[in-house]
Amino acid sequence: MLTSAIIKVRDTLIVSVQEDLGDEDALDLQAALTQQLERTPVNGVLIDLSLVHVIDSFLGRTLNDLAVGVRLLGARAVVVGMQPAVAITLVELGLELRRIQTALTVERGLDLLARSTNHRL
Amino acid sequence: MNENDTPTIEQQRATIAELETPVIQVWEGVLALPLIGSLDTARAQNMNERLLERIVETGSEIVILDITGVPVVDTAVARHLLETVSAARLLGAEVLLVGLGSRTAMTLVQLGLDLQGVTTRITMAKGLELAFQKLGLEVTSKTTRAVDGTEG
Repeated sequence: MLTSAIIKVRDTLIVSVQEDLGDEDALDLQAALTQQLERTPVNGVLIDLSLVHVIDSFLGRTLNDLAVGVRLLGARAVVVGMQPAVAITLVELGLELRRIQTALTVERGLDLLARSTNHRL
Repeated sequence: MNENDTPTIEQQRATIAELETPVIQVWEGVLALPLIGSLDTARAQNMNERLLERIVETGSEIVILDITGVPVVDTAVARHLLETVSAARLLGAEVLLVGLGSRTAMTLVQLGLDLQGVTTRITMAKGLELAFQKLGLEVTSKTTRAVDGTEG
């Protein structure tokens, strides 16, 4: 069962990742999000991590895979609301998510997506 | 050293720890971090934590990391700096590295560290200029404008 919410707002899917996301949950989320993208193509996917306080290498890698997958499906992924401790952990794990765009808040993430899609049109 | 000295040393250590990594908000959305002295692992971690917390607190998009006061930049220091840049980026903030001297720059090149993906500028002033540019702000001189006005 999917434990995180995927909300479609106009041309963007907003994924609110829940606290304590387990390995299974992460894989479920990955599958659900890519399937949703297949059904309803949107330009941007916003992944909100503000509830996530602890991250491990598996979740970090899944996140990276998710963002790359989203890009392959023709959308842009932006990760927002990352906690300082999570950022430090990811860097220490060597998972710098270089290919993912980031923003401080959901609002700024939406601005970023709006700007990048405008440029593309 | 007698036993009475120990608390004083602890206190001084704490004071130094507080003093060594000030994170200053120089403009709305812009933080500055002037680094002075050598950067070891403990200090780098402390700096990282404080910086990231301040980024979230102030909602800053740009951090100017000034290393003018860092005497030697070796591979370890460079690695710490790159970690700071990566961690800040994950939060959605960009780090501009300023104050690299010619010696530091050439040392880094010779060490094979080209700091790819890191924006650098020679001075704090240049860094701030770039920060304003990125935020869509412009600094103009009042006097120049007045002169332009009378002439044009």
